[in-house]
Amino acid sequence: MNASKNFVAAAAMSLTATAFAAGGHGGGHGNGIGEPGKAGDVSRTIQVEMHDNYYEPETIEVARGETVRFVIENKGRLVHEFNLGTPEMHEAHQDEMKMMVEHGVIQGGTLNRKLMEMDMGNGHSMKHDDPNSVLLEPGEKKEIVWTFNTKANMEFACNIPGHYQSGMYGDVNFDSAADSQASAD
Amino acid sequence: MKNALMAGALGLLMPALSAAGEYNITVDRVMIDTGDFVKEGIGYNGASPGPVLRFKEGETVTINVTNNLDEPTSIHWHGLILPFEQDGVPGISFDGIKPGETFTYEFPIVQSGTYWFHSHSGFQEPNGAYGAIVIEPEGREPFRYDREYVVQLTDKHPHDGNRVMRNLKMMPDYYNRQQQTVGDFFADISKHGFVTTLQDRLAWGDMRMMKADVEDVQGFTGLINGKGPEQNWTGLFEPGERIRLRFINSSAMAYFDIRIPGLEMTVVQADGNNVQPVTVDEFRIGVAETYDVIVRPKTAEAYTIFAESMGRSGYARATLAPEEGMQGPVPELREAPLLTMADMGGMHGMADGDMATRDGAEDMDHGNMSQGSMEQASMNGSSGMAADAGTSMAGMDHSGMDHGAMIMAEGGASDPFYAEGSGLVPVAANGGKFLSYSDLRAQKPLYEEREPTREIELRLTGNMERYTWSIDGVKYEDAEPLKLQYGERVRFKFVNETMMTHPMHLHGMWSILDVGAGEWNPVKHTVSVQPGTTVYMETEVDAPGQWAFHCHLSYHAASGMFRKVVVEGGPDQGNTAGVEVANDGGDA
Repeated sequence: MNASKNFVAAAAMSLTATAFAAGGHGGGHGNGIGEPGKAGDVSRTIQVEMHDNYYEPETIEVARGETVRFVIENKGRLVHEFNLGTPEMHEAHQDEMKMMVEHGVIQGGTLNRKLMEMDMGNGHSMKHDDPNSVLLEPGEKKEIVWTFNTKANMEFACNIPGHYQSGMYGDVNFDSAADSQASAD
Repeated sequence: MKNALMAGALGLLMPALSAAGEYNITVDRVMIDTGDFVKEGIGYNGASPGPVLRFKEGETVTINVTNNLDEPTSIHWHGLILPFEQDGVPGISFDGIKPGETFTYEFPIVQSGTYWFHSHSGFQEPNGAYGAIVIEPEGREPFRYDREYVVQLTDKHPHDGNRVMRNLKMMPDYYNRQQQTVGDFFADISKHGFVTTLQDRLAWGDMRMMKADVEDVQGFTGLINGKGPEQNWTGLFEPGERIRLRFINSSAMAYFDIRIPGLEMTVVQADGNNVQPVTVDEFRIGVAETYDVIVRPKTAEAYTIFAESMGRSGYARATLAPEEGMQGPVPELREAPLLTMADMGGMHGMADGDMATRDGAEDMDHGNMSQGSMEQASMNGSSGMAADAGTSMAGMDHSGMDHGAMIMAEGGASDPFYAEGSGLVPVAANGGKFLSYSDLRAQKPLYEEREPTREIELRLTGNMERYTWSIDGVKYEDAEPLKLQYGERVRFKFVNETMMTHPMHLHGMWSILDVGAGEWNPVKHTVSVQPGTTVYMETEVDAPGQWAFHCHLSYHAASGMFRKVVVEGGPDQGNTAGVEVANDGGDA
């Protein structure tokens, strides 16, 4: 899958990597939200549509240990993000997204990808290439394969300024029945 | 406490009422208790403010309005798109509602969002005749919240509207309590020097204006949902919830700067139309505007909704709390702003170009000169040249400063919708983000973008000494109607030649405010034009009939800053031509 390259190519230097790491403060091991999954482990696919400014669906059910392929499509006219994380991670990431808007990387319905590559100093860029998120222009479609190996308080969210605050987020619910089955395995 | 509970109970009753699709409103004499004073006024269904009308997009509403007053009345549905005969302006849309009569309005609801309604007769609106309208959309909202409250503001004055108007006509500064004193004069001399201070005062005297003319009707008590600061209207929440606050400024004259210390506010709607969400610490709401914000208090504490009038002569206060009776700290009023020379940039006889502010002049000169000195230094390879350039740079600054030497605002705050160096530029109390018109973007364009078919310039004019307000120097009674053609897209150019802010309200058609965002320009019903500025808005002329177009400051509209707009052509042309109504309009 072409789109899978997007997360495999995650660069450690990226500015948004700090958001990914931010979850580490809360979680005991790693960032506590799971990890990029392998395509071969995918047990099912969840389609997520982005609209201006909300997701469909707004709730997803997952089981601990499950590897899910998310196919995310932006059906709106504005740029949107799909980011898997804890509320704390999203909050930390929002400042970075604000910076991307202030620097003209995100302008309403367009993404300035050239600007995203630009060196911001100290090796940072505004690439936004963390494996737990995608940033899509209107009409774009990308995938994330994610393994939910830990039960966590998670949301998927768009952290573009104002979007999360006005309700562009969805709940990740860990199916308790499936979860206990998974742990019994 | 009891008041807040009653307000809550009223809110609960409204949805049940709306299921009917038919509404009954009585226009009554009521008593208004602000906590500071009790005053007879006018209300709806026995109270001021009136009920919150909850409509659903797509339904047709029937509203029976019974006039229990001993004078004619009317109800205008502010911001609603409807047939012009239903717009409720006596002398333009209909003849008004006589004492004892019931008038039945009937119109389809073709939009959603937060709006309001008010009398368009005499000074009934400042006397209390206003209420809120909430329209639920057909589809889903493009945002989410757990609960919502209407937060309707007004500037309740102890004087009846007619008395206020008489006093203003007799003495325009009757209600201006912040006039500069002889003491201020001497203080300015020690700060700015005698000649500058004297020139400053003479210039202001020439304009028959005063620096403290930010608010010409002071002495009011700010109310939120009918409650004064001490009565403290309270909205309840559970920590972690998202709360939608529907702010409506139903004031006669007062702009409010609104903040909720401890909470960021995400603005999601302006004048009933969704905007791309923008998170702010504070915003200014013009008379007749609405802003919907979403807040998310995460802790179980009381938060104060604090609304200072723009001229700081009064405030409204309410509370968001997890339970009744809790209170947050109430901030002090900040210092009153003073108008600057920049705010009179649009006045007659003042060349716009001369009005560079102290800050502006400095920036410009520094920019030019440092470039020049760089070139010279590199050309000559002489370090001495840079110093020379520096000296001449200082000289340049002085020459550019002649006008800047007038007493100017010295803060760095700027907003493209205020004159550069204006004393009115708002600054957030916590140093954070203050909403500007330039932050507003339509969430979804309402119209296809196209070139305007023509431009109409409207100069906002007035003579403060006689308290006359006008458009292009002509007051309503003496003016020809403004004629628009059905199907055109008109670009309005507002040039504010006065020193006051005017919230311009066009009935029946949307005002697409030009913030430079093309098809994403926000769609409003009321557009504030600050002193010394030029503001553009565009209107798709898609509503046949005749409409009111006026400054929404009650006493400005009543003294002539008002026009009738006639839309010629269109599907209902026959109807339009047949309308004969008494020309007793001019009521805000």
